[in-house]
Amino acid sequence: MRKFAFVFLFMALLCLATPVFAQTTGGAAATSSTNWVAITAGFSMAIASGLCGLAQGRATAGAAEALARNPAARAGIQLALILGLALIESLALYTLVIIFAKVK
Amino acid sequence: MVEQLPFTALLNRLFAGPVTALLHALGFHVENPAAPMSNAFAMEVLVFLLLTLFFVIVRSRLSVEKPGGLQHTMELFHEFVVDQSHEIIGHGSEIFTSFLVTLGLFILGCNLIGLVPEFESPTASPVVPLGCALVAFFYYHYHGFRRQGVGKYLLHFAGPMPVLAPLMIPIEIASHLARVLSLTIRLFANMFAGDMVTLVFFSLVPVAIPVLFLGLHVGVSLLQAYIFVLLTMVYLAGAVAEEH
Repeated sequence: MRKFAFVFLFMALLCLATPVFAQTTGGAAATSSTNWVAITAGFSMAIASGLCGLAQGRATAGAAEALARNPAARAGIQLALILGLALIESLALYTLVIIFAKVK
Repeated sequence: MVEQLPFTALLNRLFAGPVTALLHALGFHVENPAAPMSNAFAMEVLVFLLLTLFFVIVRSRLSVEKPGGLQHTMELFHEFVVDQSHEIIGHGSEIFTSFLVTLGLFILGCNLIGLVPEFESPTASPVVPLGCALVAFFYYHYHGFRRQGVGKYLLHFAGPMPVLAPLMIPIEIASHLARVLSLTIRLFANMFAGDMVTLVFFSLVPVAIPVLFLGLHVGVSLLQAYIFVLLTMVYLAGAVAEEH
């Protein structure tokens, strides 16, 4: 029940964003000199790399602990670790590709 | 217009006429008829020629009693792929070995050739990893059809229960197409980012530091070639798996 209270409170807070409707339609960064695309690109890459680092850290920690418990299973653990790390890495790389596709 | 590498210029000088005629006959528009072949394509041709030469030399020097260095290298790679595929795919994985070894050596060669001055990695251009990923995609689907029959293979896209089929089929199609995308982008972005980061550090500190990134490039080349082949094996295992 308390969860619903938080949801409704959040939705009510979103109504504070009404100044958004005062925007004029038009091209991006037509009059302002701030390069929002580059700033967003920097932030998004930082967030992607940070989360990728956290996830790879958890994967490595799990693999190291499993190897410590059962050194005989080294082959399987190593395979799972390498596969997992590469798949997590590729998620951060998708962000990089979008940046290179969108930032001129 | 990107400037041509020496090998690209050589290939264009020798073969520009026939290649342009072939492309026009197939209906493609060529921007520069004197240089129809791009750097990436020329590098791929070079890796292909080097690999063919390597295979021919190994084959001609095969010996049971006194194996030479090249034979040891080839056996190392071959045994590695055989062991991995046996672990992942199970029995009946021997027929895939030749394709997986060739794919792995091609990607490894393409990645590593970027380290040599005056050559660049063809895998740093987005179309080359796309080609490798499409080849792997069609290969594992072909073997899925061959091993399980057309009807049974298509049926397994519907999921474990027939009532779930309208939900499972779009999800399965999307996930299979996402495999091609992820294989492509993983290989391309790793090679491209390696080049970018080397250039950035070269512009900051022109001496000594960029060498570290070339070392990183070697490590990443090996790892990405291994991951590509490993994921192809995993997809093959999924395609040819039989429920016991």
